[in-house]
Amino acid sequence: MATVDERVVAVTARVLKIETSEIKPQDDFTADLGAESVQSIELVAMFEEEFGIEMEEDAALAVSTVGSAVEYITEVCKEQGVEV
Amino acid sequence: MSTIKARTDHPLVDTTEPNLLEQTFDYNLPPKIVFDGPIIEHIDGKPVEFDPVAAVQRDIFITDTTFRDGQQARPPYTVEQMVHLYDLLAKLGGPNGIIRQTEFFLYTKNDRETLDRCRELGHQFPECTGWIRAVKGDFRLVKEAGLKETGMLTSSSDYHIFNKLKFKSRKACMDSYCEVVDAAFEAGVRPRCHREDVTRADWDGFIMPFVDRLMRMSEQVPDELSVKIRICDTMGFGISYPGVELPRSIPKMIYKLNQECGVPSDRLEWHGHNDFHKTHINGASAWLYGCDALNGTLFGFGERCGNPPVEGAIIEYISLKGDLCGIRTEVISEMADYMRSIGLPIPDNYPLVGKHFNTTRAGIHAGGLRSDERIYNIFDTTKLLNRPPRVALTDKSGTDGVVHWINEFFGLKKDDRISKIKCHKVARWVMDQYEVHGRMTAISDEELETQVQELMPVYWKKHRS
Repeated sequence: MATVDERVVAVTARVLKIETSEIKPQDDFTADLGAESVQSIELVAMFEEEFGIEMEEDAALAVSTVGSAVEYITEVCKEQGVEV
Repeated sequence: MSTIKARTDHPLVDTTEPNLLEQTFDYNLPPKIVFDGPIIEHIDGKPVEFDPVAAVQRDIFITDTTFRDGQQARPPYTVEQMVHLYDLLAKLGGPNGIIRQTEFFLYTKNDRETLDRCRELGHQFPECTGWIRAVKGDFRLVKEAGLKETGMLTSSSDYHIFNKLKFKSRKACMDSYCEVVDAAFEAGVRPRCHREDVTRADWDGFIMPFVDRLMRMSEQVPDELSVKIRICDTMGFGISYPGVELPRSIPKMIYKLNQECGVPSDRLEWHGHNDFHKTHINGASAWLYGCDALNGTLFGFGERCGNPPVEGAIIEYISLKGDLCGIRTEVISEMADYMRSIGLPIPDNYPLVGKHFNTTRAGIHAGGLRSDERIYNIFDTTKLLNRPPRVALTDKSGTDGVVHWINEFFGLKKDDRISKIKCHKVARWVMDQYEVHGRMTAISDEELETQVQELMPVYWKKHRS
């Protein structure tokens, strides 16, 4: 089974229409990967769908980098009893 | 004033709690107008103070000329239309008569039928008054109609006296007007002299001598017949701010009539025109300088560029008084809908009633609306005008705009509101309209409704069923 990191990168690549190889943990979704306003929302929605979780909107949108998204999603999965 | 002598320090007053200035911006009312000092105007070389606080405490009111000046700017209203609008004017102005009078032509069978039908409604306000030419014989019409008061043309500039009316002299003109005023007294009808074109007239040489004479004549009749003066800024030349010379200065005009000629405020009325975009503020300023009556038309429809809009005066009145005073502001929206239904165009960006008067397009503004509607709404337009704030969706609306639209559409408030995350498919559809399909127009409510139904079926079922 893919790791949280790999799944976050895959979703990011799909939503932002870029190659997974272009995505690094320290990348900022907006500044480095070019996520626009709607894409930021789509990313959160797709992460929810991928992991089967519900994220708090403001907290989720405050996450700025790929690495911090992995950390935040891992924590939410743990809180909501979702195995990853 | 261009040299700065010393700079004053202004220390930051830090706070962690917002100060929303709610004493002025009470969301339940149009924002209050709070004065913190007198208005000073120099008249005949001396400073004169106008106290706006005292002015606001007077019994200021609105008079309407929708059926006279308003009708000069459009095809005639039908009798039914005028009766309905009269009924709405009565509801809007409320039982305290904030809309105190409205005037009618008396010349045709339709004019007289309209007047009768309006009076049959039994409203105390607005009182029906007449409008006639300065012709003695016309008083027969006023008397037959049973009216207590009528406006009459007493044009005042030399443009009118000599070039239009062809009088040989000012004295001949004044004598002629005074004969008609006498005829009004004899008929037991109160004359309201419409001093047309005062902002192009000779105040010292004609206006004030004529008003002096009218005041002397009024001393000979009971109070209820004493002459009223309508100050008609026929071409919209009037200027509201201090420091302007006569005949364009509104403070000077009103001061002269009020304080030098002795016309009481309750017999002074301002009638403006909008040729220079000044009509509303000129009317409101006339209240502050000493006129009790502000004459206007619904939505400002009137000769050429129009008159002070009655609904604007209503909001100004509430802002000055700090209270609704029995006014039913929601009737403004009803009137606008009715006007549209009978073919009167109201621009989309027209204040208070235009289709988009409280619609925001920019996404960043919609974000503000989403978190607190007060940020981009002038007052509680839902409560006062039956018009919730809206967002119109374009490529500039952003996700916040889409989310605001969806929540308003479902009528969801506070914690029930749907989050951005759940609206992402509709937001994507909107963006694709512009980015992928090259759309150049705003998205209609109907289109969006279809998308919400298709892309958010769970919410649709929950909130529309």
